[in-house]
Amino acid sequence: MKRSPSKRGFVPAFKKNKLGMVGLVGVALFIMVGLAAPLLAAYPKGYGTELYMKPSLLHPFGTDGLGLDILSQIIWGARTSIYVSFVAVLLAFAIGVPAGLVSGYFKGWAGGVIDTLIDVFLTLPILPLIIVIAAVIGSSIGNVAVVIGLFSWPSLARVTRNATLRVSEMQFVEAARCLGIKKRAILFKHILIVIIGPILVNLTLVMATSVLSEAGLSFLGLGDPTTWSWGTIIKKAWDAGAVIDTPNPWWWWFSPSMAIILYVVCFNSLGNAINDALNPKSRD
Amino acid sequence: MGKYLVRRLLKSLLTVFISITLTFLIIRLMPADPVSLMVDPKLSPEVQAEMRRGFGLDKPVPVQFVIYIGNLLKGDLGLSFKTREPVTTVLMQRLPWTLLLMFTTLVSSLAVGIPVGIAAAKRRNSHFDRIVNVIVTLSISIFIPFISFAFLYVFGYLLGILPTGGAYTPPPGHGFAYFLDVARHAVLPTLTLFLGNCATIILYSRNSMLDVLKEDYIRTAAAKGWDDRYVTRVHALKNALIPTVTITGLMMGSMIGGAIMTETIYAWPGVGRLIYDSVNAMDYPVLQGAFLLLSVTVVVMNILTDLVVSKLDPRIRLGGGKA
Repeated sequence: MKRSPSKRGFVPAFKKNKLGMVGLVGVALFIMVGLAAPLLAAYPKGYGTELYMKPSLLHPFGTDGLGLDILSQIIWGARTSIYVSFVAVLLAFAIGVPAGLVSGYFKGWAGGVIDTLIDVFLTLPILPLIIVIAAVIGSSIGNVAVVIGLFSWPSLARVTRNATLRVSEMQFVEAARCLGIKKRAILFKHILIVIIGPILVNLTLVMATSVLSEAGLSFLGLGDPTTWSWGTIIKKAWDAGAVIDTPNPWWWWFSPSMAIILYVVCFNSLGNAINDALNPKSRD
Repeated sequence: MGKYLVRRLLKSLLTVFISITLTFLIIRLMPADPVSLMVDPKLSPEVQAEMRRGFGLDKPVPVQFVIYIGNLLKGDLGLSFKTREPVTTVLMQRLPWTLLLMFTTLVSSLAVGIPVGIAAAKRRNSHFDRIVNVIVTLSISIFIPFISFAFLYVFGYLLGILPTGGAYTPPPGHGFAYFLDVARHAVLPTLTLFLGNCATIILYSRNSMLDVLKEDYIRTAAAKGWDDRYVTRVHALKNALIPTVTITGLMMGSMIGGAIMTETIYAWPGVGRLIYDSVNAMDYPVLQGAFLLLSVTVVVMNILTDLVVSKLDPRIRLGGGKA
């Protein structure tokens, strides 16, 4: 099979983007740390004797108010972040992509209705909605991940719809239609493969925002109290007055925040690099 | 009024209707007993029975929905579990503080974001543009508690020059002293929300300015020998503003999400802090009401931005004829 010109240039174009490569390495590191958490650090529980220890060789990120090692908490938090973002991405993909494909391909009322729904859910203040639902159904980490996923689809659907609108007028789609290929096959084979680029870019954004949402929920007290997540660590530091009280163990909230920011920045720059490599024109 | 605006208004109504339906369904479809979630278990049995009738919980679900909407139209959102006050009263005490925070954030973000975005677009790939890009990339992915903690640590703890929480020093003063006091308290929360929102506005005004500058009519104006600044200000700016205003409307939803965390951290007495307090008190009626109120706020803001867009874009104002 002959490779399409855009595919031929993708890997070299991606490799040239330094920020994108950093993002890719960062993402790979986070995933590996998350998967290997039990090998890297003992699960932090109970309490230790060394309270509020500054960062040192023994505790690179210091210890918290219970004397637990903060680095171990962050390693286990990475596991939670990976879990939440993958569940969210899977759900967003399962809802958003079919919704976008259908609303972009069928110009009639079905497309219109879905398009309007996408618009409505893009305008709604999603975080308060997630908060209300999480408060009512109880905040196990599974629930939190599913609820975040259930409301991450609108932006993905919008991207899919716009790409589908563009592609469905192209001749190869018309040709497929003339050949009598089933609509489902046209949508999920012929069109989806062509527009997978922008979808991928949006999925990296969902990975990033879902972790921000999870951290926000945990910070507001809606996290899973039995699971370590970066938001939970920050909440504990906040509740213990680690920000403005004396003594001031700033490392307690600083390192998990850095983990969140790095995670988000890595996924965002990965997404940007994919986007740039797919559209060489936008790089100028 | 053009067809466009009518369509947008209908969509706004639909948005409100969907958020009402969502709040209704959240409680009814949960596996837990809806009665115990809706009716405060601490109340006496007679009052509980009375409230059940009030909510229509003894009737089938579709009838309950009609009753629910009827109550909403009367402004009745039920009673707060925590304070036993009507939810509407509780919310209305908090709303002005949230609106104040959002208004100052929005005005400052637009006032800084649009000029910076346009300057960056005019000097594309210069050092200035690159620095702006880095700051924007970092600020867009910021985690609000982190930036708030950093501000509190520097200005509240290390320097000790700004208050660390609340909206005023109790007891509230009068006149100009009160105004100054509130302004001092508002600095850090506004700054926190400003970073992310201003970054979004810079991003969009820069990109749309770049698009507009490529247009033929800009080249024509330049070819006529008009001053570059004049062309930017008069020919390019208005068209470049349209996507920026649109995105400002779309930003509201996420801005309110940020406001919840900001208000929580700075103990700002708005709807966001109320949500945090209600989560801890498991005060479901207040939570539902707060979500509804925030949705309506977002919708109203969207209608306002639609009106601004239609002022900026005659194709929208005139297009579609009378409707």
